[in-house]
Amino acid sequence: MTHRKTTRRDVLKGGAAFAGAAALQASHLSLFAEAWAQSSPWKPEKGAKLQLLRWKRFVQSEEDGFMALVAAFTKATGVPVTVLNESLDDVQPKASVAANTGQGPDLFWGLYSLPHLFPSKVLEVTDVANYLGKKYGGWVASAVVYGKSGNKWIDIPVGYNGNVINYRQSMIEKAGFKEVPKDTAGFMELMKALKEKSQPGGFALGRASGDGNAWVHWCLWAFGGNLVDAKDKVIINSPETAKALEYAKQMSAYFAPGTAAWNDAFNNKAFLTSEISLTNNGVSIYAAAKAGAAKGDAKMKEIVDDMDHALWPVGPVGKPTEFHIAYPMLAMRYTKVPQAAKAFLAFTMEAANYNKWLEAAVAYITHPLNAYDANPVWTSDKKLTIVRDVAKRTLTAGGLGSVGEKAASALADFVVLDMFATVCTDRASVKEAMAVADRQARRIYR
Amino acid sequence: MSNGANTATAAIAPGERITWRALSMNRNWLGFWFMLPAAAFLIAFLVYPLGLGIWLSFTDARIGTPGKFIGLENYEWIIGDSKFQTAVFFTLLYTFVASVFKFAVGLYLALLLNQNMPFKAIVRAIILIPFIVPTVLSAIAFWWIYDPQFSIISWSLKQLGWIEGNINFLGDPWNARWAVIFANVWRGVPFIAISLLAGLQTVPPSLYEAATLDGATRWQMFLRITYPLLTPIIAVVMTFSVLFTFTDFQLIKVLTNGGPAGATELMATMSYNTAILGSRIGEGAAVSTAMVPFLLAAIMVSWFGLQRRKWQQGEGDG
Amino acid sequence: MADATRALPSGDQSEGMSYLSTLPQRLVTLYLPLAIIVVVLLFPFYWMTVTAVKPKEHLLDLDTHNPFWTVSPTLEHINDLLFKTEYPLWLWNTMFIAVAATILSLIASVFAAYAITRIRYRGAQMAGGLIFLAYLVPPSILFIPLSTVVFQYGLFDTPFALILTYPTILIPFSTWLLMGYFKTIPYELEECALIDGATRWQILVKIILPLAIPGLISAAIFSLTLCWNEFIYALTFINSTEKKTVPVAILSAFTDGDQYRWGSLMAGALVGSLPLVILYAFFVEHYVSAMTGAVKE
Repeated sequence: MTHRKTTRRDVLKGGAAFAGAAALQASHLSLFAEAWAQSSPWKPEKGAKLQLLRWKRFVQSEEDGFMALVAAFTKATGVPVTVLNESLDDVQPKASVAANTGQGPDLFWGLYSLPHLFPSKVLEVTDVANYLGKKYGGWVASAVVYGKSGNKWIDIPVGYNGNVINYRQSMIEKAGFKEVPKDTAGFMELMKALKEKSQPGGFALGRASGDGNAWVHWCLWAFGGNLVDAKDKVIINSPETAKALEYAKQMSAYFAPGTAAWNDAFNNKAFLTSEISLTNNGVSIYAAAKAGAAKGDAKMKEIVDDMDHALWPVGPVGKPTEFHIAYPMLAMRYTKVPQAAKAFLAFTMEAANYNKWLEAAVAYITHPLNAYDANPVWTSDKKLTIVRDVAKRTLTAGGLGSVGEKAASALADFVVLDMFATVCTDRASVKEAMAVADRQARRIYR
Repeated sequence: MSNGANTATAAIAPGERITWRALSMNRNWLGFWFMLPAAAFLIAFLVYPLGLGIWLSFTDARIGTPGKFIGLENYEWIIGDSKFQTAVFFTLLYTFVASVFKFAVGLYLALLLNQNMPFKAIVRAIILIPFIVPTVLSAIAFWWIYDPQFSIISWSLKQLGWIEGNINFLGDPWNARWAVIFANVWRGVPFIAISLLAGLQTVPPSLYEAATLDGATRWQMFLRITYPLLTPIIAVVMTFSVLFTFTDFQLIKVLTNGGPAGATELMATMSYNTAILGSRIGEGAAVSTAMVPFLLAAIMVSWFGLQRRKWQQGEGDG
Repeated sequence: MADATRALPSGDQSEGMSYLSTLPQRLVTLYLPLAIIVVVLLFPFYWMTVTAVKPKEHLLDLDTHNPFWTVSPTLEHINDLLFKTEYPLWLWNTMFIAVAATILSLIASVFAAYAITRIRYRGAQMAGGLIFLAYLVPPSILFIPLSTVVFQYGLFDTPFALILTYPTILIPFSTWLLMGYFKTIPYELEECALIDGATRWQILVKIILPLAIPGLISAAIFSLTLCWNEFIYALTFINSTEKKTVPVAILSAFTDGDQYRWGSLMAGALVGSLPLVILYAFFVEHYVSAMTGAVKE
């Protein structure tokens, strides 16, 4: 693929410009918002107040866009919304505690199959989901899987985050490659060459719930391994899994040092200081580089021009096995203002709000509803188009099995990630690691 | 004249209400009321939870749901779990190694400080600072020092030409283990040093003078005079140290959170991760309760092993 | 006592009579090791301080700017800390909880220590021993059931969860310390007072406490430090951001999703340490006697 140089205009199109656009946004939104409030089927209760707990933003402009949306909602309905920010890994425990103690924020915005950890404690939102699906071209398949528990919708999968390969073009060229290979064997060659002739790449082996889970599940599924089968029977201990582990082990020899201690932030840091040539991440590295370049940082500009994104290679299985992050938003049953909560969920996904927010997030968020394929952010920057379809491409947590409490538990316990980590850091043989994962999985899935 | 405090009625003036006075003089009655505040706190927030914790370890409680009795199932599970086995191994290793180093360095430092030098008070005051500062905050500083890409230690060693690439402090299992042990020793040495120093200062210098006149070397003086006299204090200090090291939580949580791949997991961090992050209260309580026998054993070893023959304390007086 | 089988020493080998050892010798055996140890003990704080005032661009750029000091110190991290986060609130929370818990535990300890050492009721020795046993059950073992208890009493996510549970950590220590202090007060004073008809309460307040003030100060300061240092209860019992204590809040406040802001993190650690260091600087002697006093028991 041709490598188009990023012009100033592209940079400006990026996050920095949205500071100005935010003002426009606000007035735009409020006009729409008032009209919406009149016609919305969910009328917030009198004197309602909402509290929403979300994961701490990865891209500043995304948060700005979100807060503008929240402000518009308040203006439209008169319901004040307090937004609490917690680090990504803290959202799930806090939500669990709240669900089980019956007190806390009304809305939670978390990861993967969070609401499935406590399906009976969550507000049913089937009506909201059906309304949105009808209005905006239908939900993508994975959204339905994430959203529904049995026949009822228990959350709205507000967005996805595409976790893709981030790489430096100049560095892979130095290693002798023009583009990231599309198959696993070729990819291994790339990683080897990067370590030997250029700067090494690296994937997180620490308990990084975003990046770490994304790559190990890709690897596991690419070789045909699975934690459970379609009937939720544990099948992790298999030759396919062994192949995946061996592949990962071989690749980890080519990683930059330190990956075993990496959580979700470390690879960003290392990439932005040119210590590594390749890693997996959302587009937040690109966004951060753009923001820095807009402020005049020459090093950041160099990275903006040099880096690009690529899809995960395809393994022996023969089809893509990507695992992108789903960000469901849920309301708790204990909320005193269920109508207000539903109104907020619906408001968020309405075109006038959601489109603006998608643009502000500079492709960090991908949509779950088909109509939003047309959003201009997907064509604004060629380097971002790649994440437009992640919602359609992704496999779901739990792999072949159910997206339910068990899958959520397995993710929370890092069963798969630890299995890969112990093998790659030589703390266990492939056989031992699979046996441990098998035992843990059986306990969870019994 | 009998000691007024010892009898219930001695100080009662004629005509006073006998019962209240008698009561307020009665030691047991007074004792009860005086002990009440402390007892209330300790019973409500220590004894009861301890019992509850043991009970919980026999149930399958999760956050918010009380769970039902399942007997020894949690224990059976964790005993067979390789992660738990690793955590027990590392907790014991961590405690033992860190305590030995803390003792050695602490004693050495105390001996240094016991000597005649200018600015002794200031040096002694500075030494304690790592102990004063909250552990989490110094742990954050260490986290930055141990960074895989930007560590000041790696940078300095590279500048000196001693190493080529950055040191992978927290990413390699054994490096991580030594790194956290070092941080723990760093934090614990001041307490041990200052306590032992106080002990050293109670040794009469005349003993050393007499020994020098008799031709003893410094090592002999240390072995025969200093160490035996210090033994009771050493036993107390090291028992505390072992206790706090075994049940450490903060340092590991900040630096590695048990990583990489569970290499630095302590029983305390594992119980937190299981109970609070994994929502499995029963299982977490089992891990916590399992700490108690190990803790007891470690303390017994420390307390009784370090006590020397008591009669040696009286040796050499004057 | 010592093996007197050696010849008389030349005089340079002795210890305890420091005039006999020469300066060069002391340099190597005393000052040098001491200096090395002091540097190692203090370096993390130096590093913390330097990072807290280093401009953002220099932090990750070890090659162009010497990392050991900064040529253009900036207050932006501290600024961010104090004005753009809820740090002052967390500082207040921590102080408030520490002071309240210390007061409660001191009151309980004074009564208990007095009861054990002076009143000597039946079973006093056993009570003293039991209090010692409280140490065997540290927070990292108790926090799980205690969180259930805290929730049952309706204290979850309030400062009272900590104010009422911290005394369990503080009381054993303070009681021991105060027991030691009370024992040093001559019993004759009390005897006279008792003969004169004073009640135990009066004796405690008017005689014992004034004389034990150094001990009280030591216990109070050490208790405050223990409260500030406590982590696992604060992490488990408090959920809302605005109610957190400094150690817990610092960890989560400066990670932008996937980027750490080391400058602000170090600034937070630095500012968080200052109250205790300042307190310590004013009360060093009390501190040391607290530590040694408890240990000597």
